[in-house]
Amino acid sequence: MGRPLGAAPPVSRGAARGSVYRGPAGQWAFLAHRVTGVLVFCFLLLHIVDVSLVARPELYDEVHALYGNVLLRLFEVGLLFALVFHSLNGLRIVLVDFFPGAIRNDRRVLRTVVVVSVLATAAGGWVIMEPFLSGRVFG
Amino acid sequence: MTVTEAPPAPARRRAGAEAWSWLFMRVSGLLLLFLALLHFAITHIVNDVVDTDYSFVARRWDNPLWRVFDWALLALALGHGLNGVRWIVDDYVRSPRARAATKAAVYTLAGGLFALGTLTIVTFEGV
Repeated sequence: MGRPLGAAPPVSRGAARGSVYRGPAGQWAFLAHRVTGVLVFCFLLLHIVDVSLVARPELYDEVHALYGNVLLRLFEVGLLFALVFHSLNGLRIVLVDFFPGAIRNDRRVLRTVVVVSVLATAAGGWVIMEPFLSGRVFG
Repeated sequence: MTVTEAPPAPARRRAGAEAWSWLFMRVSGLLLLFLALLHFAITHIVNDVVDTDYSFVARRWDNPLWRVFDWALLALALGHGLNGVRWIVDDYVRSPRARAATKAAVYTLAGGLFALGTLTIVTFEGV
């Protein structure tokens, strides 16, 4: 989402506190977009390092096995939510920016973004947690 | 211009580096929607994460198209994320010196990891 293009960085000191967007819903979407974006970015940096271990197969497999741990599975569910929310909200931003007027009820679209993100995370999360829940993978 | 006129479209007002950065975020974002979600689906939903071990990677990267896919994902995600972090640093890091230092650190880290990721994909020799 970034900042509205016309607004230079120094102006946004007050804007970060007040509402740049009309109403709190857009402001929360803005904040959630930033938070999920930063989280995914941080994971990306970590993920580049763990995949680079593929040059040493034994070490790669040893480190990679950690992703099956129940805590990291929970983390992966969180990552899924961040990815889906950031994607759908990003799509909403693209629609707002490129097709002015296409979205008539922005609050309802926002609610749809959140609901679909939660549903997708629940469905994907069940698949991710299933090996643990059914007892095939411990810890 | 009358006062009742709607404000001009932001993109038209100032077509500089920031406008390109704005456009890049939208275009890379749309591409990443498919690349990142597909990548996640393959490695966490279709396959269990435990099964995406070394032999899985070796089989997958046997096909150069998957290397292109993964490299595109790497480059676009890093670029998109880095630009987002740049916006955030501009918004919250007030002192010019701290801002420059923060950006230098983030750019160095991301640049180094981009090189590492690229080397990983390009130099990998399977099984």
